[in-house]
Amino acid sequence: MATSDEQAEKEYADFEARVKRTIYIDHLSPLVTSQVIKAALSQCASVASVEFIVNYTIQYDIPAAALVELEDESQAKAAVDLMRDFPFIIGGMPRPVRAMHAKPEMFRDRPSWPGLKMEIHWVTEGDPEYDGMNKLKRLAKRQDAENMALVKNQLEEEKELAMQQQESLDESYKKYNMLEDIVRNGKIDNLARHYDMNLTHD
Amino acid sequence: MDGSSKNIQFSWGKKRSKGGAKMDTQFYGSFTFDNVKYSLYDCVYLFKHGEPEPYIGKIVKIWEQNQAKKVKILWFFSPDEIRSYLSGPVVEKEIFLASGDGTGLADINPLEALAGKCTVVCISKDERNRQPTPREQAVADYIFYRFFDVGNCTLSDQVPEKIGGLEVNDLLNPKDEQVTSYPCQDVQGVDQKLGAGLVALLPQSAVKMDDENLVTAVTPPMSGAIPLPPAVKEDGKAKVAAVSLPPAVKEDDKAKVAAVSLPPAVKEDDKAKVAAALLPPSVKEVVPKPTQNIPKRKEKVHSEKMPSKKLKLSQDLTSQSMAPVPEVKVRPGPLELSTTQAVDRSKWFEPLPWDEELLVADEDGRLVYIQNLDIQFGASDIVELIREALQLSCIAQPINHPTYDDPNNGKAYAVFRSRKTADAAILKINSGLVVGGRPLYCSKGLLKVPKSSGALVGHLTITNQRMGARQREEQKKAVSTSHCSQPNTIEYDLALDWMLVREKQARKFSILHKKHKEERKSFAAKIGK
Repeated sequence: MATSDEQAEKEYADFEARVKRTIYIDHLSPLVTSQVIKAALSQCASVASVEFIVNYTIQYDIPAAALVELEDESQAKAAVDLMRDFPFIIGGMPRPVRAMHAKPEMFRDRPSWPGLKMEIHWVTEGDPEYDGMNKLKRLAKRQDAENMALVKNQLEEEKELAMQQQESLDESYKKYNMLEDIVRNGKIDNLARHYDMNLTHD
Repeated sequence: MDGSSKNIQFSWGKKRSKGGAKMDTQFYGSFTFDNVKYSLYDCVYLFKHGEPEPYIGKIVKIWEQNQAKKVKILWFFSPDEIRSYLSGPVVEKEIFLASGDGTGLADINPLEALAGKCTVVCISKDERNRQPTPREQAVADYIFYRFFDVGNCTLSDQVPEKIGGLEVNDLLNPKDEQVTSYPCQDVQGVDQKLGAGLVALLPQSAVKMDDENLVTAVTPPMSGAIPLPPAVKEDGKAKVAAVSLPPAVKEDDKAKVAAVSLPPAVKEDDKAKVAAALLPPSVKEVVPKPTQNIPKRKEKVHSEKMPSKKLKLSQDLTSQSMAPVPEVKVRPGPLELSTTQAVDRSKWFEPLPWDEELLVADEDGRLVYIQNLDIQFGASDIVELIREALQLSCIAQPINHPTYDDPNNGKAYAVFRSRKTADAAILKINSGLVVGGRPLYCSKGLLKVPKSSGALVGHLTITNQRMGARQREEQKKAVSTSHCSQPNTIEYDLALDWMLVREKQARKFSILHKKHKEERKSFAAKIGK
C-alpha cells in the first residue's frame, strides 16, 4: 500500500517536472507537422516531443494546438518569452503563434491527481439540496453556452481581420507591381517629364 | 519509468561459427532481445543520439566478443538523406539500400542500440529477387528497389553482385513469404472468446516447449498476456508491455489461421520470422510481435506518420532502455490512456487506439459524454469515480481543449463495456450524482466536431499569375519557413494586428471564466444556506 502511494507520488512528481518543461503552442496551422515545429524552435530550444491536441469539444473550425516538450525548464521559459515578445511565424504568414507554459490539466494522459478526494454524494428528488443541485446544473450548462458563444464570436472576429488583411495585402501587391512595371517599361520617364520632376536613375 | 537499467530480456539464438584472432569471437544467426527475435538479415530500427528519426538497417552480422554483443548493420537511406542525388519520382514508403564501398555503407553497433524490427520488402524486378505478393508489399513498412552507392554517390536500380562482401541474394527478399502477425486492416471489434482461448493455450504450450528458441519466443505472450494473473502481478515494467500486447493478441486471430496452414512450408531457419518458424503445427498460436503491431495500428490512427510510429516503438522498447540506447521520448501517444489503466482495462477487453475506440464505441452506443467534472481529474481518476459511484468499469479520458474550453467545466468521454451499462450510467449520473459539490451531467454519443478546413484563418496568400512556377515554389518556401517576424516588413505590421487581437481575446476569456467561477461559488453558497 505504502509503495503504491509512493509510486503515485513519484509519478506525479515526474509528471510535474514534465509539465514545467512543456510549452503549449496554439494558433497553429493545421498543416504544421511536428517536424516543422521542431525545426522552428531549434533556434532557442531542442524539442523532445510534440503532441497535437485533438479537438473533441469545440464545434467550430479552430486552429491547431500542440503540447511541445522541450529539454528543460529554462528552454521552455526562453521559448515562451520569445514568442510573447516577438511575433513568431510558423508555416504561413502573417499570423503568429502563441505560446504559454503548459498546465497539468492540458495533458490528457496526466496521472492521478494526488490531492484527489473523491466526495461522492447522491442527491435525489425529495432531498433538500435537490433543487439547488439542479439549478447548479443549469448554471453550468448556461455557462458552457456562454463560453461557446464567446468562442464563436472570437473566431468570427479573426475571420474579419484575415479578410481585411488579405484585401490590403492584395492592394499593396498590386501597387508594387504597378510601380515595377512602370519602371521596367520606361513609362516612369514619361511621367517624370509630365510632372516636371527630375529622376535620378541608379 | 525509472532510469536504472534493469535486466532487459536477452538470449542468444542460433550459433554459427567461431572466429577472431584468438578464437574468442562467437558468431550467431539470431538472438532475442527485449522479447523480440532478431535474425540475420532482419531489418531493424536504430536511434542515433539526438536524431528524432530512427535509421533503418539490415543486420548482416551478429557476434559476441569479450562480453560485448555487436551487430553489423547495412544501412538503408531515406529519400531525405540522399535528396540531392535523387531525381525522378520516389515511390511511397521507398528507401534505398547502401551499396559500393566507403563510409556510410555499414556500421558496427552495440546490440543494445536496436530499437525494434521493421519490414522492408524488395520490389526489384531482378530475377534473383523473389517477387513479393501484393499483400506483402501492402503491409510492409518500407520498400526498396534502388541502391545508393556510397563510394560514388550514385543511385541505381541495377542489383549489384555483392554488397559489403555479402552475396546479394541474402539481402533481397527471403525465400519464404514472411508469415507475420500483422494487423489486418479489416479486423474490427474484438473476439473475446478467441482471445481467451488463445491465452488458455499458452500455459500448456509453454510446458511443451523444450527447445531453447521456443521458450524465448513464448515468453513475450507470457510476460505480456494480461489475462494471466501472474503477469498482472509483475512490476510496472510489464504493464508497459501489457498495454502493447493486447492489441497484438487481437491481431493474431487472423494471422493464426495463416500460421496454422503454413507450418509445413515453414523451414526452421534464421530467415523465417518469429511468427511462423518457431511453432510446431500442433500449437495453434502465433507468437505475437508486439513491436510490429502497435506501430502499424497507431500509424493508421495518427495523422503523424513517422514520429508517431517511432514514439510507439520507443515506448514499447526503450521504456526499459539501457544506457546505450539513446534517449527517446517514452510516453504514450496523445490519444492513449495512461498505462496505469493497463491492468484494469486488460482484464476485460483489448482496447483499440483511442480515436478508433471512440468511433466504435459510439456506434455501439457505449460512449458517454460527461460534463462538469473538476478539471484536475485525470483519466484514472474518472475511471475510479465511475467505479466507486456506479460500480461499473469503463475507460475514460478528459477531453477539454486547453484554449477554448471553460476550465470550470471539465469534460470527458467514457466508454463502457456494453450499451446497457452505458445507458444505466447515464441515467444514474443524471439523476443526481454530485462530486465535490459539482453535479455531473452526461449524454450519449460523440460531439460533432467539424473537420479542419486545412489552412489557418489568417495565413494569407499572394496570388500573382506572372510568377513562374519556380519563383512560386521559392516564395512558398520563404513564406512557410518559420521565423521571427522582422520589423521592417509588411508582415510585421500584420502580425502585430494579430497579436493585438489575441491579447484582447485572452483577456475576454479570462474575464468570462473568472466570472463563471464567481457565479458558481456564490450560487453554491446560496443554496448551501
